[in-house]
Amino acid sequence: MSADKPLLDIRELSVTYTSSNPAVTAVSNLSLQIRKGESLGIIGESGCGKSTLALSIMRLLKDVRTEGEILFSGVNLMDLTEQQLRKYRWEKIAIVFQNSLEVLNPVLTIAEQLEEPIWAHEKLTAKESNQRIIKVLNMVGLDPSWKNAYPHQLSGGMRQRVLLAMALVCEPELLIVDEPTTALDAASKNEIYHLLRDLQKRIGFAMILISHDVAFISRLTSQVMTMYCGQVVEYGRTSDVLKNPMHCYTRGLLNASAQFFRYKDLWGIGGKPPEEMRIYEGCPFAPRCCQSSDNCRKSRPELRYVALERQVACHKGGIETFLKAEGIKKSFQVKNRVIQAVKRADIEIRSGEVVALVGESGSGKSTLAHTLVGILSPDEGSVYFRGKKVENHWASRMMEGMQIIFQDPFSATSPRMKVLDVVKEPLDIMKWGSPEERNEAACRALEAVRLPVNPEFLERYCYSLSGGQRQRVAIARALVTNPKLVIADEITSMLDPSNQANILRELKGLQNRFGFAMLYITHELHLARKVADKVYVMHEGEIVEKGDASEVFEKPKHLYTRQLFSEAFYEESKG
Amino acid sequence: MQHKSRMRIIEYAITIWVIITLNFLLPRLIPGDPFLVLSSQEAEDEEIILSEEQRQYLFEYYGLDQPIHKQYFVYMGELLRGNLGFSLYYKQPVSEIIISRLPWTVFMVISAVVLSTLIGTIIGCISAWHREKWVDKSLFLFMIFFSEIPSFLIGLILLFVFAAGLGLFPLAGAVTHFADFQSGWSRIWDVIHHAILPVTALTISHLGGTYLLGRNSMTTVLEKDYLRTAWAKGLSQSRIIFRHALKNALLPIVTRVFISLGSLVGGAILVENVFSYPGLGTLMRQSVRVHDYPVIQGIFLVVTILVLLANFLADLVYKKLDPRVSS
Ligand SMILES: Nc1ncnc2c1ncn2[C@@H]1O[C@H](COP(=O)(O)OP(=O)(O)O)[C@@H](O)[C@H]1O
Ligand code: SF4
Ligand SMILES: [Mg+2]
Repeated sequence: MSADKPLLDIRELSVTYTSSNPAVTAVSNLSLQIRKGESLGIIGESGCGKSTLALSIMRLLKDVRTEGEILFSGVNLMDLTEQQLRKYRWEKIAIVFQNSLEVLNPVLTIAEQLEEPIWAHEKLTAKESNQRIIKVLNMVGLDPSWKNAYPHQLSGGMRQRVLLAMALVCEPELLIVDEPTTALDAASKNEIYHLLRDLQKRIGFAMILISHDVAFISRLTSQVMTMYCGQVVEYGRTSDVLKNPMHCYTRGLLNASAQFFRYKDLWGIGGKPPEEMRIYEGCPFAPRCCQSSDNCRKSRPELRYVALERQVACHKGGIETFLKAEGIKKSFQVKNRVIQAVKRADIEIRSGEVVALVGESGSGKSTLAHTLVGILSPDEGSVYFRGKKVENHWASRMMEGMQIIFQDPFSATSPRMKVLDVVKEPLDIMKWGSPEERNEAACRALEAVRLPVNPEFLERYCYSLSGGQRQRVAIARALVTNPKLVIADEITSMLDPSNQANILRELKGLQNRFGFAMLYITHELHLARKVADKVYVMHEGEIVEKGDASEVFEKPKHLYTRQLFSEAFYEESKG
Repeated sequence: MQHKSRMRIIEYAITIWVIITLNFLLPRLIPGDPFLVLSSQEAEDEEIILSEEQRQYLFEYYGLDQPIHKQYFVYMGELLRGNLGFSLYYKQPVSEIIISRLPWTVFMVISAVVLSTLIGTIIGCISAWHREKWVDKSLFLFMIFFSEIPSFLIGLILLFVFAAGLGLFPLAGAVTHFADFQSGWSRIWDVIHHAILPVTALTISHLGGTYLLGRNSMTTVLEKDYLRTAWAKGLSQSRIIFRHALKNALLPIVTRVFISLGSLVGGAILVENVFSYPGLGTLMRQSVRVHDYPVIQGIFLVVTILVLLANFLADLVYKKLDPRVSS
């Protein structure tokens, strides 16, 4: 066998459970390859078909309709009889089942269950097989004296070791590990991680590791595959994918995973995973996707290369860039002086992302923001919204465009306007729908920010509102156009801390629910740290540092950033 | 665990005590003079005519002139010495009568239990293995149909067809009386020959239950994760069936076997009468006919103790089979 011929080559595999009504397609049109000694991680919410895939590789499923090919060392397992399959099971492909009390036979001792596959596949004497058992038990760090115990006498962690030992007893070429860490405490998890790493190094089996523990996958695999609704939606090198996911779903998974972020609040992926798996006509992720559009529901996206060693199944080639600004410069003429407010700024905001723009007041953040939405036009450079150049106000005068929420919400509009009129004004300007529809949209937006929608409130004048209410009205005014990008400029700085926290949390919740992208401009770093995916640090009109929020907040590189952070987080570093 | 089994024994003791006490109380709770009732029966039972002497004897025997608690202690004391009373009809101590009849019933019940469990489990497992296929469906219908026929009816049909009609088996009894057997083997054959029809009737009547149990139990086990594990290991089919599936599926079956002994004794009483098989069943019927209370009570007591013993054995065996119970 040549070196690059894959050990396992799955081609267009579909698995449908025919026993359930309606039939459930748990794996659909899935292809993957693994070479000798390689390791592939599979992530995805539960119910997305990971276990089904694992079991179908070993042809262990009953009452299913299976299509496609499963080539192991070039042999199509789908063509083999039960009798022929026995030679592959455990000897060549072994599986560490998802741990449960009933995975091991309750009436047989550990030794009895370990020795069975040896006898089925190899000709060893009783003594030799006993030695083998002791060897594998030692290998997985379980005292061999446990071999005469029954499964119910072991703890969850010990059972996981037994399962691992059992899988290794015939030295397989491919090891499938299904959720090895569910229901284990942190210490046992860590031990299982070390075990898997060392064993793979020592024995050199190829491995498919199924887990929704992203940290686990990141440390143990070289390739990773994201599954959604039985399909692969992203595929690439583990380090790349986890650092820079390109499918909205992968990003959602990472955002929901606690091990990855120290400070950021966790936000699950909005919407529910599909209850029963149907074959969707369009992209199965569309109902939850923050950048879905009509044509996503029409046809199913194929897995395509979007970069070197990176495949994504998305009509838009993965996470879309909503806003791109290049080489922005902006100066003001004040009397005889020229103030260079923005000296040079590049910024990129992708769909569904929260980007924090931080810096001291006066560093040029608001000027940059106003340039981005087109209130100011830049001296140099250009801004693109979803690929189109922003000129005049078109991007903020449309539904699903971008909206800015101002620092001082009603400096622009008259404080003598009524709540309802303020909120629906953007719709009036773009002449969207009928007056009734505009009123309804305004009420929905007010409800979204948890303001009352009774006639008395709608008729109130804005000056009579409290600070917090005013800020909420401003948010509703932005949301009424169903924007894809919201620029929030210091919206919390005028509020007291408790209102600040509330508003921010709500805004983030709305962002998660509606899936808009957000540029969150603030000088309050502790707030930025809670919500940001990406951070841009601005200093004297220049972006001095940018990157993933976790990295920038953990290890700031620029001198200014460090100084800024050390002041802001002074209390923390002291404690 | 020690504690638990001790509790178990106490439970059994209490059950036996309750039965004994009921046995003691029942005849005494019947209003009026029990012997008067006895003696004024319909013409059919004319065989018993209680003379004044006998009445006297009975009164004394039961100590009915004594205060009730005293009667009770006397009764218990006699029981402890193995004295179950004296049968008027058979003119023999009750314990002797029962001991002479008991082996036949036990023989029949145990044969039927072993056979019905074996056959029922095997067919049940075959059914489970082919679940929802035609094999399973037709077996299921067939077995349910037979399990609905009462045991004595099966007995009558068997008797009619194979004994009376075809003459393949004797019509009645457990052995050929006054026969001169050449060897021990021919004697054993004679016993088996007599037992075949009654045991078959009892087995068939019990088969539906064991079949269903076997089928359910096996079906449950076949869906367990550990069975998938066994398949994944590439073991042979026979090993998977016998070592992984059957060993687990047998657990509930074993328990049921012992517990079902009780209901089988009930069935045996009916079947014995069809075949005039000389076990407790025929004895019971006769005693009821002639109102031989001491014998009826004795049979109750012995049957109760046997059933309890069976339960006790079930516990023991279950512990041996299921490691989860013993630790
Ligand atoms: N035996 C089965 N019969 C019918 N549907 C099943 C069966 N097993 C799993 N499914 C369905 O298939 C889908 C995938 O399940 P599974 O492979 O277990 O996902 P995961 O391992 O990713 O949690 C789910 O919708 C589940 O309900
Ligand atoms: S953009 Fe469309 S195709 Fe891409 S993941 Fe979202 S819904 Fe699916
Ligand atoms: Mg699973």
